[in-house]
Amino acid sequence: MSNTNAVISTPQQSSAARRSRPRPGVGKSISVALLFLGAIGMVAPFLWMFTTSLRDASQAYDLPPQWLPTEWDWTNYAAAVNGPVPILRNMFNSAVIAIAVSIGMIITAPVAGYAFAKLEFPGRNSIFVGLLSSLMVPAQVTIIPLFLLMRTFGLLDNPLSLILPGITGALGVFLLRQFFLGLPQEIIDAARMDGATAWQTYRLIALPLAKNAVSTLGVITFLGSWNAYFAPSIFLNSTDTATLPLGLVLMLGPYGAGNVAQVMAATTIAIAPALIVFLVAQRWIIASLTQSAVKG
Amino acid sequence: MTLTAPQTQLPPAPPSGRGGHPGRLTATRRREALTGYLFTAPTIIGFLVFVLGPLVAAIYLSLTKYNILTAPKFVGFENYARMFRDERLATTYGNTVLYVGAAVVLINGFALLFAVLINQRLPRVLTYVFRSAYFFPYLVALVYVSIIWQALFQKDTGILNYYIAALGGERIDWLNSSEFSKVSVIIVDTWRNVGFAMLIFVAALQEVPKDMVEAARMDGANEWQVFRRIVLPMISQATFFNITITIIGAFQIYESIIVLTRGGPGDASRSVVMYIAEVAFNKFDMGYASAIAVTLFLIIMLVTLVQFRLRKSWVNNE
Repeated sequence: MSNTNAVISTPQQSSAARRSRPRPGVGKSISVALLFLGAIGMVAPFLWMFTTSLRDASQAYDLPPQWLPTEWDWTNYAAAVNGPVPILRNMFNSAVIAIAVSIGMIITAPVAGYAFAKLEFPGRNSIFVGLLSSLMVPAQVTIIPLFLLMRTFGLLDNPLSLILPGITGALGVFLLRQFFLGLPQEIIDAARMDGATAWQTYRLIALPLAKNAVSTLGVITFLGSWNAYFAPSIFLNSTDTATLPLGLVLMLGPYGAGNVAQVMAATTIAIAPALIVFLVAQRWIIASLTQSAVKG
Repeated sequence: MTLTAPQTQLPPAPPSGRGGHPGRLTATRRREALTGYLFTAPTIIGFLVFVLGPLVAAIYLSLTKYNILTAPKFVGFENYARMFRDERLATTYGNTVLYVGAAVVLINGFALLFAVLINQRLPRVLTYVFRSAYFFPYLVALVYVSIIWQALFQKDTGILNYYIAALGGERIDWLNSSEFSKVSVIIVDTWRNVGFAMLIFVAALQEVPKDMVEAARMDGANEWQVFRRIVLPMISQATFFNITITIIGAFQIYESIIVLTRGGPGDASRSVVMYIAEVAFNKFDMGYASAIAVTLFLIIMLVTLVQFRLRKSWVNNE
């Protein structure tokens, strides 16, 4: 993919079809131009964020806007990190919650998905349908009782209030059940004949085969938790327990009154992990997110 | 793991299992059933404690007056009756419906356009760059992208107005006027979600059989006819998925509004979800907030069910 001048390959296209299309070059240039325009629109806000984070606060709003960094002044980053909002601490909180939730999910969901796909037990289908219908329950409906529940157990302002409800969930069970349904029954039966217990069959045979599906689930769960705002904003209420999105909103201040250069530095820090993960695993993330949607 | 549970703990066998004798479980099948319950136990417990329980509780609370300090007092359907007199609720529901409509049209329209464009045979490096650029905002927390847009939308210092003014337009009060505060929310929502919907469309477009498209071209169909008669029906599955997802997502728009406009000016950009949170956690009117939440749940469920019912009439299942 390094060669920009690569000839557009058209192996599957017959020459007859190619001829029938009028001036294919023009259409293609227009669409590339349109796509470029759109792509600039998608990237520009991030670029602006980054250049602003490198500028002195007094010049942050200078117009015309600076699109490329003219200087590399990192003082805003130091100021953001050392400011009144403990954003590194908040980042750590976010990481702890997201990692705990992801680990919990990749333990509980595959094993349940396996049971719903491969084991017979009375009530299996009705339980599964009930579980699945919980996907239709929006978070806002359950948030009030959950808040009262966490309050009763003294878990408000505690990361457990976000971890406990997060470690199980219907979406993961559904994804993994789909995968295990596609697993040939002969493999399972062969293992059972050799004397493996159900747990051994699952743990040693089925689970290793589900590696990709489990990693997909891990990524989806991690991102969901890492990006969450609604529940954290209600369950957590001190700056020390806040997650990173809460910290940044705090830093932004009412009506965006905060120091914009510092806020952009903090936002850059907040986005950096997502960017790195994305650059490393772009293909894989895209494939895993879309395939579950299209084939589901 | 030894499974030696007393038989009484086991629910009866399904009346017509795999042709076995009804009501009589062999040792193996009993063992398998118990394993099934053990494997699903964490998920089922989580479901009961964190979804079903709270859902039932929300419905109960919606029939009470409850301010957290004193015990809930049963008031029947009073909270529901109160909704009809609540002008703020009407406003926030109106805004929410607008967000949903805009999301369905704009996100899916742009996503389909870009998907069709990107699905042409472009150099691979271009495809890669475009896919990445369009998709990246979707991976970033909505709060973060809203923080950036909040700065871009500033009336006097924001770059959006700078370019509008440079092109000879009027500066727009993006965040503080009652019309444009809604537009700002819609712009951010569309901008962030278009990439994901686009990828779904691209994946579907790649499944469209090429020989079918070419056969139609050979028969003299023009590009629009090919798109309308062949491509669109072939990707209806993805369209259905995208529309369902955008509807459910847009009903729950929350953090972008918090960051951009705080619901203002007045309630001009406030969504139902923000209103629920305000009633519940600022005014501690838990009963009324629960009643609104329950109606939101019913509406989302209804829309989803209607969607699925309509699905048969336009989704091509091959």
